[in-house]
Amino acid sequence: MKLSLNWLKEYVDINITPQELSHMLTMAGLEVEALEKIGDIHDKIIVAKVLSVKHHPRADRLSLCDVDTGTSTVQVVCGATNVKAGDLVPMALPGAELKGGIHIKESKLRGEFSGGMLMAEDELGLTDNHTGVMILPPEFETGLRLSDAINPLDWSLEINITPNRPDCASVIGIAREVAALTGQKLKLPGVQYREEGVPVSEVARVDVIDADGCPRYAAGMIQNVSIMPSPFWMRYRLYVSGVRSKNNIVDISNYILLETGQPLHTFDYDQLEEHRIVVARAKQGEKFTTLDGQERILNSEHLMICDGKKPVGIAGIMGGLNSEITDSSSNILIESAYFNPVTIRRGAKSAGISSEASYRFERGIDIEGVIFALKRALSLSLELAGGKINKGLIDLYPKKFEPPFIDLRVDKTNSFLGAEIKKGEMVQWLKALSMDVTEKDNNTLNVIPPTYRVDISREIDLVEEIARMHGYDNIPETFPAIRPNDKADLPSLQLHDRSCDILAGAGFSEIITFSFISPESANLLQAGENSPLRQFVKLMNPLTTEQSVMRTSLIPGLFSIVKENISHGEQNLKLFEWGEVFFKDDSKDLPIEKIMLAGVISGNYASKRWYSETRPVDFYDIKGAVEVLLESIGLSNITFERRISVEAYDKNSSCNICHGEIILGTMGKIAKEVLDGYDIKTSALFIFELDIENILKVKSGKIDFKPVGKYPAVFRDISIIVDKNVESKSVQDIIIKTGGSLLEYVDVVSVFEGEKFGPEKKAVSYRISFRSIEGTLDGEQVNCIIERVLDNIKAETGGTLSEG
Amino acid sequence: MIMKKKLLEIRDRALSELDSLKNLDALEKFRIDYLGKKGHITSLMKNLGNIAREERPVFGKLANDLKDEITGILEKVIAEFKGKEEGGDKIDITLPGKRPLRGYLHPVNQVNSEICRILVRMGYTIVKGPNVELDYYNFEALNFPKDHPARDMQDTFYVSQNVVLRTHTSPMQIRVMEKQRPPVSIIAPGKVYRSDSDVSHTPMFHQVEGLLVDKGVTFGDLKGTLTSFVHQMFGSDIKLRFRPSFFPFTEPSAEVDIQCVICRGKGCRTCSFSGWQEILGSGMVDPAVYGFVDYDPEIYSGFAFGLGIERITMLKYGIDDIQLLFRNDMRFLKQF
Repeated sequence: MKLSLNWLKEYVDINITPQELSHMLTMAGLEVEALEKIGDIHDKIIVAKVLSVKHHPRADRLSLCDVDTGTSTVQVVCGATNVKAGDLVPMALPGAELKGGIHIKESKLRGEFSGGMLMAEDELGLTDNHTGVMILPPEFETGLRLSDAINPLDWSLEINITPNRPDCASVIGIAREVAALTGQKLKLPGVQYREEGVPVSEVARVDVIDADGCPRYAAGMIQNVSIMPSPFWMRYRLYVSGVRSKNNIVDISNYILLETGQPLHTFDYDQLEEHRIVVARAKQGEKFTTLDGQERILNSEHLMICDGKKPVGIAGIMGGLNSEITDSSSNILIESAYFNPVTIRRGAKSAGISSEASYRFERGIDIEGVIFALKRALSLSLELAGGKINKGLIDLYPKKFEPPFIDLRVDKTNSFLGAEIKKGEMVQWLKALSMDVTEKDNNTLNVIPPTYRVDISREIDLVEEIARMHGYDNIPETFPAIRPNDKADLPSLQLHDRSCDILAGAGFSEIITFSFISPESANLLQAGENSPLRQFVKLMNPLTTEQSVMRTSLIPGLFSIVKENISHGEQNLKLFEWGEVFFKDDSKDLPIEKIMLAGVISGNYASKRWYSETRPVDFYDIKGAVEVLLESIGLSNITFERRISVEAYDKNSSCNICHGEIILGTMGKIAKEVLDGYDIKTSALFIFELDIENILKVKSGKIDFKPVGKYPAVFRDISIIVDKNVESKSVQDIIIKTGGSLLEYVDVVSVFEGEKFGPEKKAVSYRISFRSIEGTLDGEQVNCIIERVLDNIKAETGGTLSEG
Repeated sequence: MIMKKKLLEIRDRALSELDSLKNLDALEKFRIDYLGKKGHITSLMKNLGNIAREERPVFGKLANDLKDEITGILEKVIAEFKGKEEGGDKIDITLPGKRPLRGYLHPVNQVNSEICRILVRMGYTIVKGPNVELDYYNFEALNFPKDHPARDMQDTFYVSQNVVLRTHTSPMQIRVMEKQRPPVSIIAPGKVYRSDSDVSHTPMFHQVEGLLVDKGVTFGDLKGTLTSFVHQMFGSDIKLRFRPSFFPFTEPSAEVDIQCVICRGKGCRTCSFSGWQEILGSGMVDPAVYGFVDYDPEIYSGFAFGLGIERITMLKYGIDDIQLLFRNDMRFLKQF
């Protein structure tokens, strides 16, 4: 809420600087988000009297004014059309400095001398009004500095009102807080006025059909008003508070809203059929045009203000165009009511409107403040619009509000806060906040909060008030004794930290992408009709279609980041993401959430360096990363199996990552069509995606220690020429099986394809290590094993020993 | 025994001289000086004739021992020097090293880890919960009734009438308390979602929730805990303040501001010239919340807090645009 400091000062004396006030309010829970000095008018801007106005001889749109500056008469060229002889106007003399760094000098405009500038309100920075030169009240003294004449210097405070404090959404509300905090007295504005003629209850009638939605409805009436622009002081206040001026009557209702927090509505009495107000629910599907010119379709959530025949406003939310105050309005009915917060909340949500009125009604206004605000509005109307106020008021208030009656325990308050606040201080603060306090016993206070404190109904609410007023700063810092618990860490957390470190150590950089993606991604990934990738959880209110479903895979996110980086010229990428994916599950309230870990590589393995050439990444780079990762987190017996169900992969260069029967994930090369679909401009992308839940299922976390042999190993290198389509693992398995207990490990040392071995052949070299824990191995013994290995390889794969 | 004294003098001189020799040439000179035909030791031995006959064998032995000792030490030193000097040509040590690959961890996760590490050390246990959450846990049980304006504090993504993307990590408070009796001391890091996207907001971001409930936990404890956290996170010289605020599930509630890390409290654009930066929300658990999990507020009390990880990351590194954190541009990631 934007607040004028000068306005605030009308209701409470403030003897501290605006900065100190801001700090004080902030530390009491009314956060001042911005503090701005306004109305700082340059000394060279004065009150000038227009003596004559004539046309500029060479410019149709300009006029020449002779003005009296108090010391001399000068000619000023003026572009506005509203100036006439006799008007008092603000004038910037040569030497004046305007907003935006404009300096006023004597000059010639289209050949005519101009000794200054006549100014509009917006040029002075006072309001946004630019309808013409500002016309000042006739009683002002010519030649006086404008800043002395209208005294506009003010501060605007932008205050963040939390939803629990609707009582502070008004100037008086803030003044009450200031009074409580500083010990000053609150000064409320007067509501005295003269009533004349027929009582309002005889010329208008109110029926509240929905008493639940409208617990109190009051109305007053003023006749024969003159609708005109508000005086400067009011327009200026409204402007500082961020409200646009319209006409005096509408401005008054806005002014009272800001002043008291009570939303009002003004009706053109003569437009009300049967001069009657009926408060009732709208009919389903009923159409209604609100003040802003928009047609709304209503439903039974909307409480309506109707006249004898038709709706004239959505109660507490927005008035109707059909009963709006116009320049010809003369008799005004003013509504001041209390509407049920939930009713207004539902209605405003359903209509998609949020107004100053609905904001306050939703949060809860002071039901006992309804009459004060109404009388304020009537008296101000009389002052600014003339006319006669009808006798009396209409006030339908069948069930009087009962304020809560709360016990506050002094010892409990202190033990809860960890403070030692004396009972006397508590009483003092509560009374400063206008609470009714009586001492029940030595330790208990009976407290009745004022009716506007709708946030206070329980003991804890009072504890908060005590803490706030005493000052959070004055409560000592202590440390809780946290009792240890014997729960182990979540396994996924350890796995997360370890995996991220391993992958970063292997050159992968971590990314974080949004959990929502485009539903189109399933098509781009070529997902089949029944693919789980299509089990999207859809958002009802997404920001964009691109972010309208929860991701079922981390791959689209990786792709988008690869694409983004390639567009910056970064081709060589190794990225990974750890995060949740989501699958719709109609059998449960919530979808299935799984944690996945996915990585991608593209471009070259590393840039060219002085010590190494560069090379493009391939399948074995992603496979190696997966092997190292899984080994490092303690998984062994991992197998890679060619059958794969994810369509985005190139069938020939991809596989499932398995542990026994459990599929831990997938990896491989992304199909060309998928890359094209995503418009990723790179030769090849390799990815892996792992299901963390499945990894945790098979991960034992146990390491089986084997004794370290003290006898030397015996190495043998064998090179096998075999058909190209024989997979390396089948040969390796034979070696392991045949090698038996003496075999330590087997590695693939080289793979050659070439004419030398024939077109359908390749040569694969294995290094085999044998070691016994019982003694030094005999070379002959090893040779025997190798013989058997070679025999078995030949028998099972047709591979032969290369003689090269 | 003048001669014996002389021998000892030579020994001391030789040993101290050896220490100061810097290269093989100097060592060679040393060898000639002491052990050569005209060297100090040899000359002394040549003087054997000048001393008493009965003392000759003793002196001779002493002189020989000294010669052996110095020869031995000298050989060792020469061997060391040779090792150093014969290791090959001088290399260009300014060439870049042969680097193993290196990846980078995302700054948000680095900061998340740091936050969790601090809090775990204080005794909190990490828990995790769903991103897609029931309205009940995200709002209702946290004392955000349906049709309450407090719900406007958070722009919510809906999956259905009763299912939302969690707008904060606070639902974990309820999920944990529902299953566990006090004492409870947990932190819950995770992703949260708000339907808001502009210069300072992304529709997804990260929070860490903290909750402590036990007998006798006070507002002073909340202040002490969060002050210690802020000091560990930003340095013990950083000032902070607790400012009254409102959250439906805590009362009293406090926002914690820290002195702006950019301008150190003087006022700058980042802190809107206030000198302060809001970094977390906190408060004493509202008794209404205990009603949903069947804890007795007359026996137990506790506090909760929630930190925005992006916000802390941005403050820590002086990042001015939150969108950068999710663009994952390598030029950005490589800086952390």
